[in-house]
Amino acid sequence: MTYLARLGAPVRGFLEFLGDQAHLVLRTLRRALRLRLGQLGVVAGQTKLQIRFTGLDALWLVSGTALLLGAVTLIQAFSQLSGLGAEHYIGVLMVLIILRELGPLLTAVLVIGRSSTAIAAELGAMQLNGEVDALAVHGIDPYQYLLLPRWVGVLISLFVLVVFFDTAALAGGFLVAKLKYAVTFGFYMDSVRQTLSNRDFAATLLKILCFSGVITFHACHFGLRIRRSQTEIPQAVTKTVVSALVAVFALDGLLAALFYF
Amino acid sequence: MIDVRDLALDAPDGRRLAEGLSLAVSRGGSLLVNGPSGSGRSALLRALAGMERPARGRVRVGGREVWPGGGVLALAGQVRLGFAFASGGLLSNLSLRENIALPLRFLELAGADLERRTEGALARLGLRAAAGLRPHAVSASARKQANLARVLALEPELIFLDDPLEGLDAADRAVALELIQGWSADRSCTLLIAAEEPQAFSGLEAERLLLSPSSLALESP
Repeated sequence: MTYLARLGAPVRGFLEFLGDQAHLVLRTLRRALRLRLGQLGVVAGQTKLQIRFTGLDALWLVSGTALLLGAVTLIQAFSQLSGLGAEHYIGVLMVLIILRELGPLLTAVLVIGRSSTAIAAELGAMQLNGEVDALAVHGIDPYQYLLLPRWVGVLISLFVLVVFFDTAALAGGFLVAKLKYAVTFGFYMDSVRQTLSNRDFAATLLKILCFSGVITFHACHFGLRIRRSQTEIPQAVTKTVVSALVAVFALDGLLAALFYF
Repeated sequence: MIDVRDLALDAPDGRRLAEGLSLAVSRGGSLLVNGPSGSGRSALLRALAGMERPARGRVRVGGREVWPGGGVLALAGQVRLGFAFASGGLLSNLSLRENIALPLRFLELAGADLERRTEGALARLGLRAAAGLRPHAVSASARKQANLARVLALEPELIFLDDPLEGLDAADRAVALELIQGWSADRSCTLLIAAEEPQAFSGLEAERLLLSPSSLALESP
């Protein structure tokens, strides 16, 4: 019996985690619907702060990474496929590799590294300092004041960052294509446009929605579980990163299979 | 206002605190909880305010089931609470003024009314000069006063004060005590205080509950 219990413990833990995530998401959505007009200003203020930290402050990092990635992708493609008319497949390569897959995925990874860690650490510190209790006891719903603005902020930021990532990656790819094969901007963009479909936009939007939820609620889950000591904060941050990365990669695979398999 | 039946709290070291406690505090009443360090004064206040889940027992506040139940969230929008924490409890990314104004803004107070209550509370507790500073930039005593100022500005119907005078100098103590006596005399306001030294509240009209790590006793004034 003990052996069976030990065997089932990780499964039970995982199911509890999923249940807690569902609880956090549903409660946040339900509380969001109960927000009154006069409270929107307070929540909007918090959302703006989150957008600044997650979106605005990461813009250069994400754009720079994407520019290099776009350029490197085409350099590698040309080095391997130069005899096979690689210049005719520029659009296909960029859409398949960057826009469909790496754009949302790498942006999510960067946001996990920058923001989900920060959210987990901040909420953990707030929990230890009694700030979450203080909010609740004074009539400020923590779901409305802490979780909702973080989710909306991460969602908007992730959307903007993916747009910037894709744009910068396309720019990086174009630079290489122009230098190597003197490809014109019009040809390059036509090639990309012909490969892009509405399905790609739908898949990207769905990924952004799912990833923003994973990033925010994994961080909130581990941050708000901190109860006793400051040494729990780095542990919560590590758990957030590992767990969010696994979830993002798993969801990415699932959505890719759903849309393109 | 508060109805507690057969309560028991878990201490972090595994001891049972306030074992079997049952009490009732009527609307407009006051209760002073005394006891040595480790007797569970703060834990009791936190459990009654819905912030700490008791090991056992039932807590009803303003007719609402707090435990077993959703804790403090069950009281949101139903009973207006004010809680002055013994330490912490202020949002570290907001100034003292913003900390005091935040619950009011969430109550949809704005403009002159918001400013009047916030500035009035800051002035009453002598925090005008430090109002623009964040909690980490002010003294522990100012943080304590800011906790009281937040409660004052909120004008709650149920007030919890956790060691409100501890660490205050004589002048701040007098201001805080005057404020607490005002709340105690106010029939629309129910007051619960946890304090190690009951002498400081000797002039207060309040029921007294003595907690000890192993036993408890309820006395009338």
